[in-house]
Amino acid sequence: MDVKFLIAGDRAVSVEFGSVISLEVNAKVRALDEKLKESPVEGMVETVPTYCALIVHYRPEVIRYGKLVEELQKRIADMHEVSTTTEKVVKEIPVYYGGETGPDLEYCAELENTTTEEIIRKHSQHEYYVYMLGFAPGHPYMARFEEPFSFKRRTSPRVKIPARSIVVQLALSDFIPFEQPCGWNIIGSTPLDICNFAKDDPFLVRAGDWVKHVPVTKAEYDQIRRDVENGTYKVKTYTLQDNG
Amino acid sequence: MGITVENGGILTTVQDEGRFGNQAFGVSTSGAMDPHSFHIANLLVGNEMTEGALEMTFIGPTLTFTSDNIIAVTGGDLTPMLDGQPFPMYRAVLVKKGQKLMFAGARNGSRGYIAFAGGLDIPLVMGSKSTLLRNHIGGVEGRKLEKGDSIEFTAPKTELPNMELRHVPAEIFPDDEVVLRVVLGPQENEFTEEGVRKFFWYSGKITNEFDRMGCRIEREPVEHAGDGNINTDGISMGSVQVPLNGQPIIMLADRQSTGGYPKIGTVITVDFTKIAQARPGQKIRFVEVSLDLAQDLYIRELNDMKALDEKLNSDC
Repeated sequence: MDVKFLIAGDRAVSVEFGSVISLEVNAKVRALDEKLKESPVEGMVETVPTYCALIVHYRPEVIRYGKLVEELQKRIADMHEVSTTTEKVVKEIPVYYGGETGPDLEYCAELENTTTEEIIRKHSQHEYYVYMLGFAPGHPYMARFEEPFSFKRRTSPRVKIPARSIVVQLALSDFIPFEQPCGWNIIGSTPLDICNFAKDDPFLVRAGDWVKHVPVTKAEYDQIRRDVENGTYKVKTYTLQDNG
Repeated sequence: MGITVENGGILTTVQDEGRFGNQAFGVSTSGAMDPHSFHIANLLVGNEMTEGALEMTFIGPTLTFTSDNIIAVTGGDLTPMLDGQPFPMYRAVLVKKGQKLMFAGARNGSRGYIAFAGGLDIPLVMGSKSTLLRNHIGGVEGRKLEKGDSIEFTAPKTELPNMELRHVPAEIFPDDEVVLRVVLGPQENEFTEEGVRKFFWYSGKITNEFDRMGCRIEREPVEHAGDGNINTDGISMGSVQVPLNGQPIIMLADRQSTGGYPKIGTVITVDFTKIAQARPGQKIRFVEVSLDLAQDLYIRELNDMKALDEKLNSDC
């Protein structure tokens, strides 16, 4: 396996499994992360999985760089390849498409030279893979693998878009945890909290999850939002066996 | 009983060692910008060196004490005054109920710390008291201190053992050129050889875009070998990332946990104090050191802190 250990200062090392984003490379990142949870190296502080690399923050007063790399190599040799596709943990995320909270839906249909129904179908029919979280608390970096859109970012980004917006470009889709600037097109909104620090587990999705967007009406959206605010909503999660 | 805030100053926040274990979910670590000064402040008042303290920026707050406690002020010299009299820095001092601590402005450095014996009664968010302004979490309601806030002491002290020993020499921070030592990586290969050489060769200037998230530097551009993008990956404190315009940004306490610009090097941990105390307009230069030296220096720093702790607090 072609693994690179990149020095990220005197208290972190980045373990890189490849340079091209793919499910295979990301599966290795996750496999090492899992292995380190199961058999941690003394002196590790925390790990952050990203597309192609796992950064390991550590305490050099407990373990120096050379020794840490040795320990990581042992665990890489011994890690269980996780499959990202044969057993998918899927979370269903309700989305109200278009309307005031999805102002770019029609524009996306124009860009794609199709109908809004077709944009919704492409977005909601396929599962998206959560490669990693970053940028803001709970913010997923997701992609689907079928029927990508052809449009990219907007020419001029918006200074502020609301929390819970669903934004898209190409094969990518994100949900926005907190109000932020954004250059992507907004096609809808989810009634679910992407990050809620008041909860014991604040985050809606984690790296390695799959996301299925489920279209809902405005009335359903409002009802789910009330349930979320009352703390009675449970995110529908299931495991898919898929050998494809 | 504790302190009430009469004036919050420019940017006064509660900070501790930082919030760890949630960067994988995109949560910034936060924590003290100048760990060295922060640790000393805590040790002087008998705390664990990682206890939550107040970090202030340029112009400190005005605080009235509603009960007695021993405090220490460290870091940049923001001209502390107690009831109108100069207040000694880098020394544990008993402040009495009703006394007023204020700051008359930065004479040297830019960030100061106030540690309170026994710590401040601030709820933990994900294991930390640190304020993360961008996401409104930690500290006092996730924001900077404002007039009218009050913070309780957890376990105030009116005496501590070895009071006569509880002082260390004040630091003086350079006001001309800031020299930061850097370990190359993780993406030095994303730059041309010439780009890397020039990165160390030429000095630059600290711009006004300098906050708890990062510090932008204006300089002779650092030349990329590629297109100036990488697959988004993890970021350490002190990472020097260089967007396509060639102008480096040093990533600091409130940095995002991941980013997509190549990082030419990382400022070594013992030099965080220097960048935290620098000011916009100052000259800045990077010097390459080995990882081994950086780790030796960091371990020595921890040993120094441990020695100070033992000298002052062995019978606490």
